[in-house]
Amino acid sequence: MSTTRTIRFTLNGRAVAADVAAGETIVDMLTLRFDLKGARESCGQGLCGCCTVTVDGMAVSGCLSMAWFLDGTSVETIEGIGTGGALDPVQEAFIEAGAFQCGFCTPGFIMMVRQLLDAHPDPDDEEVRHYLTGNLCRCSAYPEILTAVKLAAAKRKKLAA
Amino acid sequence: MASFELIEPQSVEEALVALDSDDPAVRPMGGGTALMLMMKAQLFAPTRLVSLRGIGGGFSGFSLSGDGETFCIGAMTTFSELEQSVEIARHLPVITQTMKTLANVRVRNVATVGGNLAHGDPHLDLPPVWTTLGARVRIIGQSGERVIPVEELFVGYYETSLEPGELIAQVLVPVRPDWRSFYAKVTTRAEHDWPALGLAVSVLPEGERIADVSIVLSAAVDRPTRLVNAENVLRGSVLCDEVLTRAGEAAVAETDIETDNRGSSAYKKQLLRVHLGRAIRKVMGA
Ligand SMILES: Cc1cc2nc3c(=O)[nH]c(=O)nc-3n(C[C@H](O)[C@H](O)[C@H](O)COP(=O)(O)OP(=O)(O)OC[C@H]3O[C@@H](n4cnc5c(N)ncnc54)[C@H](O)[C@@H]3O)c2cc1C
Ligand code: FES
Ligand code: FES
Repeated sequence: MSTTRTIRFTLNGRAVAADVAAGETIVDMLTLRFDLKGARESCGQGLCGCCTVTVDGMAVSGCLSMAWFLDGTSVETIEGIGTGGALDPVQEAFIEAGAFQCGFCTPGFIMMVRQLLDAHPDPDDEEVRHYLTGNLCRCSAYPEILTAVKLAAAKRKKLAA
Repeated sequence: MASFELIEPQSVEEALVALDSDDPAVRPMGGGTALMLMMKAQLFAPTRLVSLRGIGGGFSGFSLSGDGETFCIGAMTTFSELEQSVEIARHLPVITQTMKTLANVRVRNVATVGGNLAHGDPHLDLPPVWTTLGARVRIIGQSGERVIPVEELFVGYYETSLEPGELIAQVLVPVRPDWRSFYAKVTTRAEHDWPALGLAVSVLPEGERIADVSIVLSAAVDRPTRLVNAENVLRGSVLCDEVLTRAGEAAVAETDIETDNRGSSAYKKQLLRVHLGRAIRKVMGA
């Protein structure tokens, strides 16, 4: 009976393995088995984005995705971004723009904004709003988040130049 | 979540065998978004899920048929794949348009065309669109294969005509370059709420005249429903206010719209009158 399995995957650049049960969500696995608490469950329904991680470079809701299917993939969480102790440009931009209050939604927003900027390196307001409809901020830092996205886009461009 | 079995067959044949059971808690799984929601809400406790990810065949990918007349879309195609396809944007622009207000990036990255149809939820955006486009579904089961119009898939509220163990393999969409289509997602609270009504229209314009038309209403009714009387008013008519008003009245008269938390029956009927007229004007370029 295949009710559990061992999955082997890359987590923030490191090869790892875990025994998971069918139906176990990615966010539960990260919290309980890897002590990674950046992706956290809030709505639990795919709506708010607090649980965002990327799987092979694609954003998914960790609350609705089964860990089971991670076998052979590469997973990135908020804990894995940035290089050698330096913050990711999107993280820097969020701090500089003050794009949070309580910070509960911030890891999810940052993961989604990185995706957004991969897809639209120079997004207009409409593109940002559309892309981030699945991320909710209860403190309503939306205007600052919009500013942070613009700032992050500029930072990325500068780095690439 | 209670323990259950998860199977990953590598072919359609294996999947059909794994699904061959009298137990209604044995289900296929596409992207798993609807299933996970139901499981987390304890509305559904599977004994076995059969993932269709690895089965290949016509279930994944999409392409234009050799004669250029049909778009064949595999059931495991994700919404993001549709959204980002240049081919879809060219041949089925209404699908690209509909993706803009459907869920969010993360859901579109995993939700599948087949799971969306099999779910049978009348609030979903794509079923009325496939219907107005004249699409058919290819269904595969132990006893063989059948192809039916999308509208025959829906028989009631969360109820489809799929037999236990049957799988949706593909959606077959006719390419009709002379037709124009539009989907109006009419929400009454937030923009991204479930629609109070979904209205999908396709027309074959001939100058100012509506040579042919198809109208499908969803969300306000228990399943995507063709508005045949409204179509009859419009078919062959020259576009004008009077005709649109009559079509709106016919639409309201032929449907059974009930009050729910997205609006009263009277309100939603008025929405239908107004949005039907707007949608027809839009596709007629008026
Ligand atoms: C946050 C959120 C927002 C959403 N917003 C919208 C929205 O705005 N508009 C909208 O239309 N929808 C919306 N949805 C619903 C979404 O479209 C559906 O959940 C999704 O399409 C289901 O597809 P799936 O592949 O995940 O299905 P699954 O969960 O895998 O399956 C759903 C059902 O179909 C069956 N099934 C799956 N594949 C097949 C197959 N090939 N053959 C036969 N049976 C099959 C399963 O057994 C199950 O009963 C939203 C969902 C979420 C989570
Ligand atoms: S907790 Fe996953 S999207 Fe809200
Ligand atoms: S900063 Fe508090 S929820 Fe967004």
